[in-house]
Amino acid sequence: MKSNASSGYEERLNDDDRGKPVKNFSWVLAGLLLFCAIALFPSCQRASGIWHGEQKLIILGIDGMDPQLLRQFMAEGKMPNFSQLASQGSFRLLTTSIPPQSPVAWSNLITGMDAGGHGIFDFIHRDPKTMEPFFSASQVKPPKHAIHLGNWLIPLGSGSAEQLRKGTAFWEILDQHGVPNSVFRIPANFPPVPAQGETLSGMGTPDLRGTYGTFSFYTDDPSSAAGAVEGGQIIPVQVENSEVKANLIGPDNTFRKGSPVATEPFSVAIDPLEPVARIAVQDQRFVLREGEWSDWKRIEFQLIPFFGNVKGMCRFYLKQAHPRFQLYVSPINIDPADPALPISTPASYSRLLSEEAGEFYTQGIAEDTKALSAGVLDDNEYLQQARTVLAEHRRIFDMEFPKFHQGVFFFYFSSLDLNSHMFWRLMDANHPGYNAGLAAQNGLAIQEFYQQIDLVLGEVLPKLDAQTTLLVLSDHGFAPYYRSFNLNTWLLNNGYIRLKKGGIADSNEPWANVDWSQTRAYGLGLNGLYVNLGGRESNGIVEPGAASDALIKELKEKLLTVKDPQAGLSVITRVDVAREVYRGPYSNSGPDLLVGYNRGYRAGWKTILGGFPPEVLEDNLNPWSGDHCMDYTLVPGVLLSNRTVQADTPALTDIAPTILAEFGIAKSKDMIGQSVFQPKGSAP
Amino acid sequence: MFGSYKVKIEGDLLDKVKQCADAGGYGSVDEFVTHVLEKEIKKVFSEGDSASRELVKKRLQGLGYID
Repeated sequence: MKSNASSGYEERLNDDDRGKPVKNFSWVLAGLLLFCAIALFPSCQRASGIWHGEQKLIILGIDGMDPQLLRQFMAEGKMPNFSQLASQGSFRLLTTSIPPQSPVAWSNLITGMDAGGHGIFDFIHRDPKTMEPFFSASQVKPPKHAIHLGNWLIPLGSGSAEQLRKGTAFWEILDQHGVPNSVFRIPANFPPVPAQGETLSGMGTPDLRGTYGTFSFYTDDPSSAAGAVEGGQIIPVQVENSEVKANLIGPDNTFRKGSPVATEPFSVAIDPLEPVARIAVQDQRFVLREGEWSDWKRIEFQLIPFFGNVKGMCRFYLKQAHPRFQLYVSPINIDPADPALPISTPASYSRLLSEEAGEFYTQGIAEDTKALSAGVLDDNEYLQQARTVLAEHRRIFDMEFPKFHQGVFFFYFSSLDLNSHMFWRLMDANHPGYNAGLAAQNGLAIQEFYQQIDLVLGEVLPKLDAQTTLLVLSDHGFAPYYRSFNLNTWLLNNGYIRLKKGGIADSNEPWANVDWSQTRAYGLGLNGLYVNLGGRESNGIVEPGAASDALIKELKEKLLTVKDPQAGLSVITRVDVAREVYRGPYSNSGPDLLVGYNRGYRAGWKTILGGFPPEVLEDNLNPWSGDHCMDYTLVPGVLLSNRTVQADTPALTDIAPTILAEFGIAKSKDMIGQSVFQPKGSAP
Repeated sequence: MFGSYKVKIEGDLLDKVKQCADAGGYGSVDEFVTHVLEKEIKKVFSEGDSASRELVKKRLQGLGYID
């Protein structure tokens, strides 16, 4: 595993040793030097460019592991390995980020800074000049220039992927000090920053279409509305002589004028009697029984004949052969064996990994929650897919962990987060989406995934020795999502947003009919509230300074008084003013206010991108029934270690300093926290 | 309502525009100039258009958090 990295370190060692003069010293001087060497041991290690120590650090990053659920499952004896770790070491709540969203939280962990330092404030950011939203952590850009040749458009240069997180990742600092490290699937690292060790990108990695996951569903059922659905596409097909002919939908073909989507044909021969079908795509033929998933199938999309193609891979699921044909095809993932975009360091690593561990989802959020929300997959079908995702992660873990012998090993698991999002409704009878029948089938789904993570920990615990520190941590906890608060509807109803004369509020189209010349504030993202600020927003009308400050104060006070008439509860328990809670050069580039929802509440589905549903508050009946994008104090994460955590209230921003301190490396000056193994406030 | 509008391009600029239009496979200088203007104007209009917003929305839906 370390072959490339090790050779690099060895080369640097040889360079360092080269040309050093050998001198005779007196014993006194030698003793003095020995004293200095001991006193300055960590610095000497850093100066040499290679790590000589035996210290090891293992970090399991468990997205969304919730302290309340963990305590419950431990108390019930469901998680013996976590119980052992908590009783023999430490178990603390881990203060999450503001707001408690994964890209923000993991960026806090990665850089040791808050959003003001790393510039990630939400899943969704906006360009203040165009009001166009985009994913905060990364962007995929097409080539800037092209030559037109008839219908063909020949790009000059290739497109690029750009990571938007600022600041230095902890493993970059480890690299500078020669500490070997491997970082698997950590969010907010696409494309992966240059690194000496093996890294594999995680959340933020797009599918081959440049989206964060777009499934396809082929059916001849006339009751299924054709066209785009959330996170996918329903494609009507005809069954003729027991055969279906259709196209797989690939990336936009930027080689062609108008960038039409690239497609590859496939056919399905349906057995007229048995619930079985044979699928033929390119040179591959395989048979699926109803209810069966294929393994990964590699697909090559031809963009320009004999010149340009792009490789991806997907999985097929035959939902039904008769009486209606129903075939689900996963989002086309980047092929790790021949990635169209950079997903690992070294670049060849994803290929080696796929050769050794088999193919795996490269898409950052692999669990197809949208297919479940859209009703394309049911609970059982989605669970099969989610189990496969975790099985792939465990396969990679089982292959890589035994190779870990020095430095830092970080491994990320997504399963608890995504499956707590999808199955909260089946373990909480108070949820508006609760269904006793479905709960009887899959009410223990969340527990099942927690227990799987316990098994992973069970593989790690026996490997711990006196030189090895273990951190098991989550970026945030979890809570029910009962009711939606439509922030933009509230802003509209309260006169902060104005529509154009005669304009009608639209649920779906972002910012439809908004009169920006009369609008003072707007919500965007899951927790963000922005002032329509003069000089920042292209149509900003609120003067910076006193006017803006007064508006921020007014909004904060009003939002904290909002009550849900149905339950009589406060909807919003906390509103943070960005300039008061963030430190760093990007403090002013995000939202002006961070709206912290009470447990049970979240920003509504349509309000996040600027839609105006008619009601301010409404029940959440989406299968996505648990969430964490709330008041950050209500959804802390967890921190467990085999060592005594001295900090009473450790935070995500303490983790990078902790990692560095384990190897005698001083934290960088822009890092906020300190090692969790030192009492808070003590000198680092 | 607005009809058409003629713009005078001459000299060196016209030569270059012709070269670009030819290289790009455009049927005429008019077609090329119109295409370039459309592209640039799209960038200038700050509110973006609903089609591009729809595209952005589709890209983001896979994150799970939005409809």
